[in-house]
Amino acid sequence: MHDAILDIRRLRKAFGALTATDDVSLTLYPGEIHALIGPNGAGKSTLIKQIVGELRPDAGEVRFEGQRIDGLDAAARARLGLARSFQVSSVIPDFTVLQNVCLAVQGGSGRSFGFLRPILSDSGLTEPAGFHIRQVGLDGREQIAAGALSHGERRKLEVAMALALRPRAFLLDEPMAGMGTEGAGQLVSLLSGLRTEAPILLVEHDMDAVFALADRISVLVYGRIVATGSVDEIRANPEVRRSYLGEEA
Amino acid sequence: MSRIAVINLATLGLLIGGALTAHLTGHAFLVTLATKAAIFALAGVGLNFALGYGGLVSFGHAAFFGIGGYVTGILASHAMSGQPLTTLPYTMNGTNEMLAIWPMVLLVSGLAALAIGALSLRTSGVYFIMVTLAFAQMIYWFAVGWPAYGGEDGLSFYVRNAFPGVQTMQPLSWFLICAGLLLMTLGFTAVVMRARFGLALQAARRNTQRTVAVGIRPFGIRLTAFVLSAMITGLAGSLYADLNRFVSPAMLSWYMSGEIMVFVILGGVGRLVGPVAGAMLFVTMEHLLGGISDYWQVLLGLVLLGVVLWSPGGIVGMLSGRGRGHA
Amino acid sequence: MLLFEQLLNGLQYGMTLFLMAAGLTLVFGVMGLINLAHGSLYMIGAFACAVVTKATGNFWLGAAGSLAAAAMAGALIEMLVIRRLYSRDHLDQVLATFALILIFSEGARWLFGSFPLYLTLPPSLAGTVTLPGGLVYPVFRLGVIGLGIAIAAGLFWLMHNTRLGIRIRAGEADREMIGALGVDISILYTLVFALGAALAGLAGALVGAVQSVQVGMGEPVLILAFVVVVIGGIGSIGGALLSALLVGMTDSLGRALLPSLLAQVMPQASANTLGASLAAMSVYILMAAVLVWRPTGLFGARA
Repeated sequence: MHDAILDIRRLRKAFGALTATDDVSLTLYPGEIHALIGPNGAGKSTLIKQIVGELRPDAGEVRFEGQRIDGLDAAARARLGLARSFQVSSVIPDFTVLQNVCLAVQGGSGRSFGFLRPILSDSGLTEPAGFHIRQVGLDGREQIAAGALSHGERRKLEVAMALALRPRAFLLDEPMAGMGTEGAGQLVSLLSGLRTEAPILLVEHDMDAVFALADRISVLVYGRIVATGSVDEIRANPEVRRSYLGEEA
Repeated sequence: MSRIAVINLATLGLLIGGALTAHLTGHAFLVTLATKAAIFALAGVGLNFALGYGGLVSFGHAAFFGIGGYVTGILASHAMSGQPLTTLPYTMNGTNEMLAIWPMVLLVSGLAALAIGALSLRTSGVYFIMVTLAFAQMIYWFAVGWPAYGGEDGLSFYVRNAFPGVQTMQPLSWFLICAGLLLMTLGFTAVVMRARFGLALQAARRNTQRTVAVGIRPFGIRLTAFVLSAMITGLAGSLYADLNRFVSPAMLSWYMSGEIMVFVILGGVGRLVGPVAGAMLFVTMEHLLGGISDYWQVLLGLVLLGVVLWSPGGIVGMLSGRGRGHA
Repeated sequence: MLLFEQLLNGLQYGMTLFLMAAGLTLVFGVMGLINLAHGSLYMIGAFACAVVTKATGNFWLGAAGSLAAAAMAGALIEMLVIRRLYSRDHLDQVLATFALILIFSEGARWLFGSFPLYLTLPPSLAGTVTLPGGLVYPVFRLGVIGLGIAIAAGLFWLMHNTRLGIRIRAGEADREMIGALGVDISILYTLVFALGAALAGLAGALVGAVQSVQVGMGEPVLILAFVVVVIGGIGSIGGALLSALLVGMTDSLGRALLPSLLAQVMPQASANTLGASLAAMSVYILMAAVLVWRPTGLFGARA
């Protein structure tokens, strides 16, 4: 087996009496989509924030390609290739699609202190940006303000921005939220193809999407991982059925 | 040509054309008024760099305006008296050459902004507003209390500093120097805001979390913007000192910070020529209304209130028909 | 003895600052509004006190007048202007309230002219009292300290034991929630604003009584009150009280001690001016130090 790209060991975070992350260990291997599911308030967001560096864990380690990254800030982790998308679409609304993706390319390059050359004639930005825009199927929309895009298009733009970081791992926080049935189908096939670029840790409520996409699933309940396994194993796991899938099974 | 480009050209044309017309018709006073507008505009362009594009609401830019003024006044007064500023570590003399004064102004206001910005940018929101205000007050009180350069009474230097090949006391020549610096700074701002740095700065204003998530640390970007912004406003302060041949703590006061903000807001936040339009309106109002009533600032207050409440895009926003400025 | 006197002066000055800062921090905590015109309310209080005292010959009526005038002016600007600003960003708030300063200052100059007015204190307050230990201290200043303590206690009681206070605190925690509870937010906001204004007006009357009443008197105090609010942590009454005393002490002790310290190394005249301005600066240095240590102030929870 390959070494894990993302290796979370015994992560722990408490807010007062509430333990939001309770000894969580989680791995993400090359080529896989690992879905993280769990009821609302299970601590998924808290866990994501600790992985990307917005929140400091009380104990435990986050290793990325074998290297500890829990001491780094969020920007440094992004530059190492940990690309994330947000629960609520997070793009710069009055930038164009092209400017948004250029921003991500620029961030990944680590060179933001250019004062003279215009973005639009900086082929080091526009060429990769154009490539990623085509990759998600937004070509032809480059000059549209991101705020004017449809919800589904904005989701795609976020994927393009994540791709522009040349990620070693994706962390996608509920990418399917708010998608209609048709858009959801498109997005599922887009995400499915992404795993060849880099493995995905997928936080998702949409069970159809999870079962369609995931290679492995971990179930988080009250800050603890109660089960990890293949789609079939999770479907069959009695504890998961009781504690989480109960209402659906 | 886009509508905004037309507005930009018309605003600058009005300023420069107005000064030329005043000169040709022999209204030297109006040329000086246009010079004042150009200098205030430059101060506003400086603030707009941080406030409009970077979202850094500095209520302390008078600090840099005043520092620019004092550096100019101090160098000029030493040039006049022949006393060196310091003899350690080596002798440093005063100067009355603008081309020597300006780099010094940029250096000192930049260093001051580096220190103030590094501390203030640890905070955000209302804290940032109040902290920048407080730092400016600190420098204000220092200037009031430091007796060597006039303290509360300020410092006069009688003769306007020199620029090679130009008779700076001649109103139009002096206007052209100031307007030239204003145009260069506007060009610089326009270029920077289209480049990588400008993209990162504006992105950090619109969505900090997203900007961090693509690997950009806002702190360094913002601090750089704050320093550049202060250097521009400092340069304006130097010109203002030369305009009046006098500097005083009033240039450092909280009220001055408020006025610089007013130039930006009247014209349009985050608009390239917003501060130019705002400064022109301000100086015009001051001149026209100030002639009618001593209490013209009541009217300024009402206009400002009206702009904030009903036309937050300022003059440029109103003319372009699109609210607040953006990328 | 000198030190003790300066400590009392610091306490008295701190209490005045607290009266200013309490309103600012309440208005920010509850409505999320940064109000530069708070200094104008202070000035209005001082002028009202001067006018009423002069007309009636009674300082107590003047003080009551300052409360009433500032509260009314506060309620008026809240209803006309301020309430349009709650949903705006801080930049708009700063500018609109800056505009109010221009209007109020020039309006006051128009009504009262640029010359300062002076108040005469009633004999019962004008005298001095000998404190245990032999220090002779003005009665009025002691009264200010006592009043400050009483008002601070009253505010804590108001915030923690009355329905109004509970609603205010609920509003700080969650603006939508109190709307859902059926509290009429716009009346609550007007009340809170008027309360803050009344305290500022009272502070103006108290300071005006010992110094002078003039246009522009509000802004230097306003800026110091901002420093107090920032050091204490925005929205915290307790933080405002603690930091007002800290700032008051720093300023008074600095003013008293720095000139004599500096006189060791420079002529007395320069030492006096430089010492005074270093004392004025010391407050801001204090603020910078606190912010480096805690960017949201001593008791501030969030930016």
